[in-house]
Amino acid sequence: MRPSSPADWTERSRELSRLLSRVALGDRQAFEAVYRSTSAQLFGVVLRINSDRAQAEEVLQEVFVNVWRAAGAFDAALGQPLTWLTSVARNRAIDSLRRRAAEPATVSRYQGSEDDEGDERDLLEAMPSAAAGPLELLTQASETHALEQCMESLSGEQRSSLALAYYQGLSHAEVAEQMSQPLGTVKSWLRRGLLSLRSCLDRAADLMSGTAKGAA
Amino acid sequence: MDYSRPDRVERLAAEYALGTLRGGARRRFERLLPAHPALQDAVQAWQQRLQPLAGPVAPVTPPPQLWVSVQRRLFGEPAPAPSWWSSLGIWQGFTGVATAGALALAVLLGQPVPEQPAQPPFVIVMNSTEAGATIVKAGFVASVSADGGALTLKSLGELTVEQGRVLELWAVPGKGAPKSLGLVAGGQATVLRAQLLTGTAAFAVSMEPAGGSPTGVPTGPIVSAGTI
Repeated sequence: MRPSSPADWTERSRELSRLLSRVALGDRQAFEAVYRSTSAQLFGVVLRINSDRAQAEEVLQEVFVNVWRAAGAFDAALGQPLTWLTSVARNRAIDSLRRRAAEPATVSRYQGSEDDEGDERDLLEAMPSAAAGPLELLTQASETHALEQCMESLSGEQRSSLALAYYQGLSHAEVAEQMSQPLGTVKSWLRRGLLSLRSCLDRAADLMSGTAKGAA
Repeated sequence: MDYSRPDRVERLAAEYALGTLRGGARRRFERLLPAHPALQDAVQAWQQRLQPLAGPVAPVTPPPQLWVSVQRRLFGEPAPAPSWWSSLGIWQGFTGVATAGALALAVLLGQPVPEQPAQPPFVIVMNSTEAGATIVKAGFVASVSADGGALTLKSLGELTVEQGRVLELWAVPGKGAPKSLGLVAGGQATVLRAQLLTGTAAFAVSMEPAGGSPTGVPTGPIVSAGTI
């Protein structure tokens, strides 16, 4: 997927990108401006994945500590600032689930396979959320983007499993448990879902780059 | 694990971005990322593809204390600096009791100030602070020319600064970090700068290591201060 050119970005993206380059130089005012303009959005993302309020606050702190230290690693030529910030937030949130999984109260019911998938041992309880459900969010996301048509090309199971993984930070095993399906079935839904999404989205992005409108 | 197979790289990158790559495999993958541009590209492409999904997630405003915690973690305990320049109100109490200052003021007003236009200068009495008094008793009078372009600072008495330390003069805005106006040598300083008074709420003198503050903001105790 080719990165969109900064020339096609929204004003907000360009401003964020400019601020991040100043944060990389140690500009605290720019750092505060980044915090003011993105913390609520990133806190929302973190809370979806880790609904424990205190832990989510801790995660958000880590996110901005990381942003201050790693702002130099953000490369405007490779992607949009909000994508980078969201990825930092999601990664930290997912890591916080691992910490929580390591706490004694959590029971692991999934036996990892001998392959490189021995990773899904961290089993968490499904986290109910009072906010919009993952599928509802997926529908809203799809409405605004080329994602819509691509999502339609997926099966219902593929869509549901993707939404659970993305919005709630569930592992393969957790998605399987939530959907009451065998692990192997869910893994193959997710893999095929991701593959279809990729080819469909990349096709759409290539079409759009012809009209100088960068993919989000 | 074989990261050289493109389909394997692609699958792992997708699962990493989606979040389903977990535990040991996630950590291994993260350790490999910095050294493998192909992995980085694949991950970035997936993050970009999935980014629209984050759009409808409702923003949640974090508690105000969180920003304070972030700063504390990065920049240490609340530096002495922010606490004094954010409490300008307290200083206003000191200015009333400046008898020595008032006397010296009368003397100073009669003296010509360099680059002085016809209008009288603007005079600020800077008293020794309570915290500073234990180190050095330092009161100053700062005269700023009416056009705000020149400042002369004079000590109100004998000043003895310990070896290896200097005094530094600061313009303190109502909000934000103080700006250095230079060092105070031999109990006085002359500053020529446009718009010295614009946005300035107070002047302050701090004790700094030889050569002045290494960080650009006051690091030592504030020994003298006066509001405008």
